[in-house]
Amino acid sequence: MSRRQDKQELLRRLEGLVTFFGSYHAMRAESILKKNGRQAVLVAGPREISPNCGVALRFDLAEQEEVRELLERNHVQYEDFHHYPLELRDR
Amino acid sequence: MKQLYLDNAATSWPKPAAVLAAMRRYFFRCGGNPGRSGHAKAIEAGRTVLATRERLAELFGVQDPSRIVFTKNATEALNLVFRGLLKPGDRVVTTSMEHNSVLRPLTALERQGVRLAVVQATSDGCIEQEVFCRSVDRNTSLAVVTQVSNVTGAITNLDPIGAHCRRMGVPLLVDAAQSVGCLPIDVEALGVDFLAFSGHKGLLGPQGTGGLYIRSEGGLEPLVRGGTGSLSDREEQPEFLPDRYESGTLNIVGLAGLGAGIELLLTRGVGKVGDHERRLHEIFLEGVEKLAGVRVQGPRDPLRQTGVVSLTFDGLSPSEAGQTLEDRFGILSRIGLHCAPRAHRTLGTFPEGTVRLSWGIFTRPRDIVYAVKAVKALAGERRGSG
Repeated sequence: MSRRQDKQELLRRLEGLVTFFGSYHAMRAESILKKNGRQAVLVAGPREISPNCGVALRFDLAEQEEVRELLERNHVQYEDFHHYPLELRDR
Repeated sequence: MKQLYLDNAATSWPKPAAVLAAMRRYFFRCGGNPGRSGHAKAIEAGRTVLATRERLAELFGVQDPSRIVFTKNATEALNLVFRGLLKPGDRVVTTSMEHNSVLRPLTALERQGVRLAVVQATSDGCIEQEVFCRSVDRNTSLAVVTQVSNVTGAITNLDPIGAHCRRMGVPLLVDAAQSVGCLPIDVEALGVDFLAFSGHKGLLGPQGTGGLYIRSEGGLEPLVRGGTGSLSDREEQPEFLPDRYESGTLNIVGLAGLGAGIELLLTRGVGKVGDHERRLHEIFLEGVEKLAGVRVQGPRDPLRQTGVVSLTFDGLSPSEAGQTLEDRFGILSRIGLHCAPRAHRTLGTFPEGTVRLSWGIFTRPRDIVYAVKAVKALAGERRGSG
């Protein structure tokens, strides 16, 4: 499988999406989650969900509570958590 | 003739090759503007800026990197606090050893009704903590002190000052332009409320980088408002950090370089860099202490000074001495008042100033031995002819 297909597959699996007010917090969220061994991928933020900063973060929905706890403990300000599978976007 | 750069207090040189490599990497491979889009280049730029912010947080002992905001230099960071916090009638305590980046904005605010109390340092340029603390009372709105004097290299003991300010409920602003990178600092442990720093001196980054640590943004108005890439549907400035104080595109290429400079410091350890600079100080002071015809201004104690010495020569003006050091020995120093006229009044070296030599992480002991030889020659000749 190509790297591109790998990435698509990963994005498909990460059905959770966190949106942020500012890009610092999105970048910091990615950094925190990766340091803590969680899967996280920064993506362009879907406008239909949030008018805010251009970037959102995909994560594994099964880890939602751990992710939320990690972000809060590290002073990361997020806008909201969403269940937002890739298919929803493709429609 | 060889050239010896001893003007690291003005800006550090040389810069590590890794700094330039990081800037090239951003420039040629990354590009992009953080927060302005969600494409790969914007994300990569965002990661670059974040990495620098995270390294600064590690360096200063800060838990939350968003509390560090970037400015173009330490001067802008200091102005952000003065103009963002102070109102007519507020009382500010500072010292006679401050740089013009502190004294000029405060003097301008004094004309608008801010009350300024300047604590006089001793004649060797040291700030006595008891005297400073006595001046900081519950009616004080801000206390401002330099951690290291850019004229003498004298170190201010921040522990008792931080503890006192906290007891009095007075915010403490530390000017760390000269101290970052050679003195370890833990802002949370010290009780520092604001720390203004430059990126191009001890942190080894390029010019045009600096910033401010902000313990609490309550009551601190932004100096500049504008686009942040966040909350773009609103016409009001965002309230959250760091966006509240970072309007307009950042100096991303500069911050990429700064990150590499800090990484080198973190790897080597700021304590080790401080030890190295102390050793250089010992060599210099030992070499010149018994010399007639030359006087070291300041505490003359390697434990109470770092990185910087200021010299005066009998019968030789600082400009003549500085010119001779360059012409005959290739030593690049800085002469004059070093943007700190009140510090020179305190030392009794106003208006001519001093010859300032300042070393850094890449200065070698043998460079200092060479500088001592040059100073000896200069002092001896003048005596011989006088």
